[in-house]
Amino acid sequence: MPDKRRSLAEVIATVPDGSRLALGGNTLHRAPAAAVHELIRQRKRGLELVKTAGAYDVDLLCGVGAAAVVTAGFVGYETVLGLAPMYRRAVEQGTVEAREHACYTIIAGLRAASQGVPFMPLNGLQGSDLVALRGFASVRDPYSGDDVVVVPAIVPDVALIHVQEADVDGNARIWGSEFEDTLMARAARRVIVTAERIVDRAALAAEPKRTSIPGFLVEAVVEAPEGAWPTSCAGLYEYDAAVLEQLLTVSDDPEALRAFVDERILGAVPAR
Amino acid sequence: MTTTGPAAVEQAAVAAQMAVALSRLLRDGETVFFGVASPLPMVAALLARRLHAPDLVILTIPGGVDPEPSALPISTVDPRLLVGAPALITLADVFDLAARGRLDTAFLGGVQIDRRGRINLSAIGDDPQRPTVRLPGGAGSAALMPTAGRTILWRTRHDTRTFVPELSFVTAAGNVDRVVTPLCVLRRTDGVLDVESVHPFSRPDAVRDATGFPVTVGPQTPVTPEPTEAELAALREIDPAGVVASEFQGR
Repeated sequence: MPDKRRSLAEVIATVPDGSRLALGGNTLHRAPAAAVHELIRQRKRGLELVKTAGAYDVDLLCGVGAAAVVTAGFVGYETVLGLAPMYRRAVEQGTVEAREHACYTIIAGLRAASQGVPFMPLNGLQGSDLVALRGFASVRDPYSGDDVVVVPAIVPDVALIHVQEADVDGNARIWGSEFEDTLMARAARRVIVTAERIVDRAALAAEPKRTSIPGFLVEAVVEAPEGAWPTSCAGLYEYDAAVLEQLLTVSDDPEALRAFVDERILGAVPAR
Repeated sequence: MTTTGPAAVEQAAVAAQMAVALSRLLRDGETVFFGVASPLPMVAALLARRLHAPDLVILTIPGGVDPEPSALPISTVDPRLLVGAPALITLADVFDLAARGRLDTAFLGGVQIDRRGRINLSAIGDDPQRPTVRLPGGAGSAALMPTAGRTILWRTRHDTRTFVPELSFVTAAGNVDRVVTPLCVLRRTDGVLDVESVHPFSRPDAVRDATGFPVTVGPQTPVTPEPTEAELAALREIDPAGVVASEFQGR
């Protein structure tokens, strides 16, 4: 197979404004932060972000004006860091559209995409206003005659996924929780993997069951040490509560936010 | 926010009472799930497993089944919740489990809760697309509340902004069993929440005044049993750093 290693700058340059992006990880953990930082460096606009539960990645992309739509079940930092203030303000001011889902309807939409079907039936949502808000239809089960709610396929243009290890062919190994990343890799049109380190193909071939994403699904792989920072990366580092706290402290002042992002975030991690 | 002094002591007592009250609701052998931002349910589940429900099956977002964490995280999606787990599942597995009727109990929260036990975690205001306050979103609740065998709600605030006559938005509705707050335990019977017991440091009129829908509460209402010495000792062992207190703090 061809060597799929690319620089982050060149691979993110192929992501058009307005793309629908699936972001791997969950809340404060294993977010594709290096790719998110490069999206900010390249001043992308109009992005739709798809994730079951986002925090730093979604909030920051809202804060810098890169996001137009957030398709998610939950956006918040958990812990004492609380709500996602940049997301919240952007939605309240009407500059970002919150397309709230249940986490399960994100999963169902991605499953439909991964299976090449237009929608996915689902058991859940009874009594929820989300059904009307999202316009989820019901269809009659042709076998039992009962109605069942169906969720349209969610086909991301690109999945951005950060992993602990990958080889040059894009075979990717996630340590610990995979969250929705493996599903996203099967639902998206394109998959971009960032990896803490590039390992030999032989290391993956020794334990192929631990390869979460096979390389043939992956378009490009970028070596990005500490690429989930300031979120956690299982087995390697915890989330950086101090930087997140500082970010949230300046988040309501556009100038201070811009300076913080330039100096403390983009400045702290080299362009790759 | 202060974490020392009398207020912190009182807060620790409230957190312990809530953790113990949540824990006592869990039954041995059942399957229980807690999601994002859920330190109190996490501690309650570990406490129940330690004390009266040794065969509790504990499921989480990171996916470690029956974890034995050596140090508790504040984020309940943290990889620390994989420690000691003999099996790893996914969040999709948890929703599927509930959808086919095999998840016994889900812990969920609500920024607004109505008399029927429905919750709002989405938006405050008349137009959910252009809300006055955008909330974090319901995460798993809309899927789990109608499909899990029962839902136990908790909220670290008990006031008339939480317990409202009418929700701005119904994020989730379903099989709510109990609600545990800093003041009391509510139980849903015939589709309606009412006060089951008032915590020892609270009073019936305080519960009534802080609840925005009618509740039956008075001197006749039972008092929630205080945490026992055994429960408090187990709580200190499970959560020596007091991560449950984090739910009462923050931005």
